[in-house]
Amino acid sequence: MSEKSVDQGHDGRDLSDLDLVRRIKAGDEEALAQMIERYHARVYSLSYGVLRNAEDAEESTQDTFLTLYRKIEKFDESKKFFSWFYRVALNQAYSRARRRKASAKVSIQEHLPRFSEDGHLVSVDWPDASVAVEDEASARELAARAAEFIEELPRAYRDVIWMADVEEMPAAEIAEILGISIAALKSRLHRARLHVRQRLAEISRPALSAAGAGAAG
Amino acid sequence: MKKTKKGAAPPEIHCHAEELSCKSLVMEALYDFEEGTMPETERRELERHLEACPPCVRFLDSYRATGRTLRALKPREVPSTLARTVFEFVKARCAKK
Repeated sequence: MSEKSVDQGHDGRDLSDLDLVRRIKAGDEEALAQMIERYHARVYSLSYGVLRNAEDAEESTQDTFLTLYRKIEKFDESKKFFSWFYRVALNQAYSRARRRKASAKVSIQEHLPRFSEDGHLVSVDWPDASVAVEDEASARELAARAAEFIEELPRAYRDVIWMADVEEMPAAEIAEILGISIAALKSRLHRARLHVRQRLAEISRPALSAAGAGAAG
Repeated sequence: MKKTKKGAAPPEIHCHAEELSCKSLVMEALYDFEEGTMPETERRELERHLEACPPCVRFLDSYRATGRTLRALKPREVPSTLARTVFEFVKARCAKK
């Protein structure tokens, strides 16, 4: 989604997000229906990323639009609507996740690539990258495990990797939604990617060992 | 490097790069390299490292494979009735107030 489209809407319709906001404030139900039509899929996808469950994601989507409707009077029209709304959706999903369970977290430092003292990669533990693209069943399994590894990250890292690499949102938009600098976004995203890559490498290591492969850097 | 499976010749996995370290490449430079936001001189330096460093080439492959795996996580199917369900839900809840 481009910066421009955020304010103009995503489906080419004449009414911008701001037009819809104003109409909803005025009690226009048709505008509410149009807003839901415009954003329900993205809110669902975001919620699914946090909750990893279709039923919870659906309920969180409902609650997000209910919150939107109830709080829309407070929306500052000088701000970008979607950035505000995305934060509402994120908070809703995390609120539901907290009620559901206390999620286990690991330190972002815990699973990063390893280097020798002179700065060379320790090469024993990376996965066969071709598995991810050549074998459909393995790709599905890897994706499921990757989702688990995202879930174990601290929230600051989960949000950026989900928005950037799963939702494929532009960096500037993510930074605005989360209220962080582009530099902070890059740092968090790279660390999160390294974490997931490393965790995927760790689960592939037994298979490599079983095959008799081994190397030390 | 000790051995590989079934006595085959072991792959060459040592780093022979002399300028940029593997650690700097992986921890500091890789993001901008992959995003295409790296200055040209630094990009060339990184590419020279990759030419001399099979471990970093393999690391880069796995980093990219991780990206492909993550993109596959996006839910492909949104419930077809969701928009209508949400609208009815909001209307019903607000009518109660």
